[in-house]
Amino acid sequence: MNPLTYEKATSSADALERHDGDAAKFLGAGTNLVDLMREGIATPTRLIDVTGLAQGIEEQSDGGLRIGAGVSNTAVADDTTIRAEYPALSRAILAGASAQIRNMATVGGNILQRTRCSYFYDVAGSRCNKRTPGEGCDAIGGFNRAHGILGVSDSCIATHPSDMSVALSLYDAVINVEGDQGTRSIPINDFYVLPGDTPDIENQLNPGELIVSVDLPAPSANRRATYRKVRDRASYAFALVSVAGSLIIEDGLVVDAGISLGGVAPKPWRATEAEAAIVGSPPIEETFRNAAQIALADATTQPGNVFKTELAQRVIVAVLQDLAGDAQ
Amino acid sequence: MMDKNSRLSLTAFTLNGQMVEVDAPPGERLSHSLRERLGARDVKIGCNAGDCGACTVLVDGAPLCACLMATQQAMGKVVETVSGLAADDPDAKALADSFQAHQAAQCGICTPGMMVSAVALLRDSPQPDATQVADALSGVLCRCTGYRKIIDAVVAAHIPGLEAPADGSVGSPIPRIDGAAKIAGAERFGDDIAPPDALVLRVIRAPHDHADFTFGDLSGFARSHGLATILTAQDVPGRNRFGVIPGFEDQPVFAEGRARFRGEAVAALIGPAEAVTALDMTVLPITWAALPAAMTCDAAMAALPLHPDRGETNEMCRGFVQCGHAESALAEADVVAKGLFETGFVEHAYIEPEAGFAEVHDRQVVVHACTQAPGMDREALAAILAQPLDQIRIVPTAVGGGFGSKLDLSVQPFLALAALKTRRAVRIAYGRVESMQSSTKRHPARMQVKIGARKDGRLSGMAFDGDFNTGAYASWGPTVSNRVPIHASGPYRISDYRAKARGIYTNGPPAGAFRGFGVPQAAIAQESLFDDLAAQLGMDPLEFRILNALDNDTPTVTGQVFEGGVGIKVCLEALRPAWQAAHAESGRTGDPAIRRGVGVAAGWYGCGNTSLPNPSTIKAGIRPDGTIVLHQGAMDIGQGANTVIAQIFAQAMGVTMADLTLIGGDTQVTPDAGKTSASRQTFVSGNAAKLSGETLRAQLLALVNAGPEAQIVVSDGQISITDGGQMHMPDLRALPVDGEGYSLAASETYDPPTLPLDENGQGSPYAQFGYAAHLAVVDVDTRLGTVTPVRLVAAHDVGRAINPLLVEGQVHGGVAQGLGMALMEEYIPGRTENLHDYLIPTIGDVPPIETLIIEEPDPHGPFGAKGLGEHALIPTAPAILNAISRATGVRIRQVPATPARVRAALKEAGYA
Repeated sequence: MNPLTYEKATSSADALERHDGDAAKFLGAGTNLVDLMREGIATPTRLIDVTGLAQGIEEQSDGGLRIGAGVSNTAVADDTTIRAEYPALSRAILAGASAQIRNMATVGGNILQRTRCSYFYDVAGSRCNKRTPGEGCDAIGGFNRAHGILGVSDSCIATHPSDMSVALSLYDAVINVEGDQGTRSIPINDFYVLPGDTPDIENQLNPGELIVSVDLPAPSANRRATYRKVRDRASYAFALVSVAGSLIIEDGLVVDAGISLGGVAPKPWRATEAEAAIVGSPPIEETFRNAAQIALADATTQPGNVFKTELAQRVIVAVLQDLAGDAQ
Repeated sequence: MMDKNSRLSLTAFTLNGQMVEVDAPPGERLSHSLRERLGARDVKIGCNAGDCGACTVLVDGAPLCACLMATQQAMGKVVETVSGLAADDPDAKALADSFQAHQAAQCGICTPGMMVSAVALLRDSPQPDATQVADALSGVLCRCTGYRKIIDAVVAAHIPGLEAPADGSVGSPIPRIDGAAKIAGAERFGDDIAPPDALVLRVIRAPHDHADFTFGDLSGFARSHGLATILTAQDVPGRNRFGVIPGFEDQPVFAEGRARFRGEAVAALIGPAEAVTALDMTVLPITWAALPAAMTCDAAMAALPLHPDRGETNEMCRGFVQCGHAESALAEADVVAKGLFETGFVEHAYIEPEAGFAEVHDRQVVVHACTQAPGMDREALAAILAQPLDQIRIVPTAVGGGFGSKLDLSVQPFLALAALKTRRAVRIAYGRVESMQSSTKRHPARMQVKIGARKDGRLSGMAFDGDFNTGAYASWGPTVSNRVPIHASGPYRISDYRAKARGIYTNGPPAGAFRGFGVPQAAIAQESLFDDLAAQLGMDPLEFRILNALDNDTPTVTGQVFEGGVGIKVCLEALRPAWQAAHAESGRTGDPAIRRGVGVAAGWYGCGNTSLPNPSTIKAGIRPDGTIVLHQGAMDIGQGANTVIAQIFAQAMGVTMADLTLIGGDTQVTPDAGKTSASRQTFVSGNAAKLSGETLRAQLLALVNAGPEAQIVVSDGQISITDGGQMHMPDLRALPVDGEGYSLAASETYDPPTLPLDENGQGSPYAQFGYAAHLAVVDVDTRLGTVTPVRLVAAHDVGRAINPLLVEGQVHGGVAQGLGMALMEEYIPGRTENLHDYLIPTIGDVPPIETLIIEEPDPHGPFGAKGLGEHALIPTAPAILNAISRATGVRIRQVPATPARVRAALKEAGYA
């Protein structure tokens, strides 16, 4: 085993400076990375601690918000502006993990957390293309009730476990990263990469790039949004299905709709075609059922997770009905 | 590369008010540094993955999982743990009092995490409501309490002057005598007591369900990696087999060439902590060749035998009970209900993984570990080590939950072999995954059951055929196979009955003892079908049960007749008010998609071994200085034996609890009180304690020729005896002392009267049964298939509640485990091997529980008391399933009733 070093970065520039290759890892709160290191899935030799950097939540001149990548999940969920203007984000985080974990976990780390697929974790006993490209996937044909049905491939059916990112996707958040090549901004809905035949590649970050903040666009007037998660127990369990949904209703018609799904895909799954089908229609159950059908039309299921298609459709309908009911 | 000894790696922070510096390797978990480098053993490790919250500490005031934080990240911060808080923090002190008064701690392993999380809440919200408490503590798992007492304790923490404790006499609800230490983090569990220089042991385990393996150059590997030694099957001097049932010792300490389940031990690495921690497990010289695995009973019955030396098929054993003519009674029945019911592996999920250390003293190997059965551990080690019993000493530590699985050997043989080989102290604490892979489970069951009834509501015939998946090794499988046919009738009068159970070897983890020994699985089938019968008859399900309930002088299915103490009818009748009240709210709720239902179910459980000797011995003595010592060998695994046995002893001797000094289950000094299993300790060891107390009392009174009504008073260590107005002061110092320094000593044994079963399972297998009936109210979301328990009412006939507070604790904990079995728990090898994939109920999952204590005295029980531990779980799952059925009309026959299964059943029944 390689010896490991630890150093604390004093700024994002300092962190980038210290990052010297694949053997280095930026360490946030460690709620996922420490686990991955224990399992031998992540084997960094240099930990660059970036907690304490990028701490603020600041209002932007365009009316949006900039959330520092190092802000704790608790601080985001408790922020009064976020609770009022981006309620689905606050609810998603509170549905996400235990209070202990939320107190630790950072925004950047949450976005980058890796799948909880048990085959991915089972280093000695299972094949996994995400862990060892080309090895094969034992989840396909295996025990896969937790696995994905949208955006999956023949190489990988793992899901992204984040609740927070599902809400960020709903709000069209933009991820700001810094790297050797300077800074760039990537919409979260473009940030994650579907597995295809390279499931080890999960997002657009280049080696050494660091997430420094997340921008939320200015809130839309009259937009109602919420987050609902279905799981096997009351708290602290990963989603079977979750839905972040939003509606703007004017004069009895939907003028804007948002649907993002969690627990069903390798990324927060924005159902844009379903959204489009709602806009211009009355906010009634039939409209929502139709949208839910569209959202799951391309589902690819396994025997173990076939239930997720209908469950996702039902949660979509329930969420949109709740939003429509609130609006009346 | 940084210099290993560089001061750069020094991390300074404030720990419980003191500045500390720690030199930890980069990335080391804060929990590890706190425990191993700074001595903060009050920080408990349950999972090392952020799933259980036992290691919660405050960092700059915020509750965090210390296991997920790199020590270096604590630089400059303020860290508080439960021991510091309990000593200095006013909120924590008030909370500790409230925890003790409410019995919010049982085994105590999660208590530090609960306390620390609650202190953070109380600092923000001094008078929180139950919802706030549940939210704040949602990240800390507890497997013993069912959480409700914890919620009550936190909500009431601000109320000063909680009730003065009762006097400790039998029937008084005193807080557990070891509670304060658990709450302050001072209790010492399996991983808390190893000497600092102990070597560390790590077990190498099979990554496949079934595989052959060969070793490469192990000694070369040991040398090149700085290890002291590597142990394999070749290093077992005695019999490389262990088990818990005579004749079924089939499990090797280390597998020999073939591993039969995922997680089976094949070797153990022993070395200094740094060397073992640094090992790269991917380069071990082991080659694996996976084999086809039979994971279900059906597959195993079609597969080659796992143990060719034990039989030609994978059928391990059978149990059978028959009375009357089941088939003809069923044929004559007016209505018949039948079905196939299935359950999965259930994990005990105690929050303390198996842990301990061993060392060699004067040729005697001494094993300190968490265990439910020190006497059995010693006997098993004697065979493995080929050593006489007196050269093996088991010193149990506190046990952070057991529920049956810590009856079997786990760390003990590895530690003993390693200590004998290295002549050093050797320690191990299982990781969570390792614990879940290698420990025993509840047997998956596949049960085909048919029950009939006549128009008048009387039962008419029952046939039960159950296959129980015992995994790769027998463990307690034979017990399950025996117990199930005796209990599958439920506590009802069935004159025509046939029940068969088979235990079948598969490549699953060994299934063993888990609260109920197969009875909870059988109760799911029988109690579900009872509701179906009542529906067919148009009868009220509760009244149907009351009509058929067993009574005094009514034979059980084994032909056993009890003259007194059969309390099931009283339990069921006690549910009537709650049943009627719940009916008023059944059916629709405010949301048309959510339907509310109420269900009932009953259960019974025979206390102690089935038709086998089952003695307990309790010893006590009085030292020349007047100290009364109780050798309390009945392992307290959180249920409260330390308190209950002492209460019984004190009452029998006529002294108070405060007069007693307790010595635990150390096999060197304390006689064997038998294993903590089968709900036997209050009954069997309680009787031994009562006899022992009576004998010691008689000896003491005889010294001064006092009559039997004399009063014993202990004051400042001086024993005085008042008899007929006269006070005597016996001169204990004038008496000769025995080898253990006692002036007076008593050692009494109790073995419950049972009779063997004949070939039809007829006989008297138990001296007593305990009885229970539960009522569950649930909401079912018919759109999503989610089930939300609303409340539970649990009526328990305990004969005599020696300590009503502890009775409630057992009931709450059993209900929570039953709820988990009903709704969320299923262990799948390789897939649900941690506490975020294997879900146990959290604080938000357990609804309010009302406990109704019924006392139908048992002729054999001490002061009339019956056992309770298993009973508390048995009726819960069927009560919940019956509630789902009554809410929706849909019968779930496979647990857990996950949203996916419930929704599929609803869909099949035509729900939109």
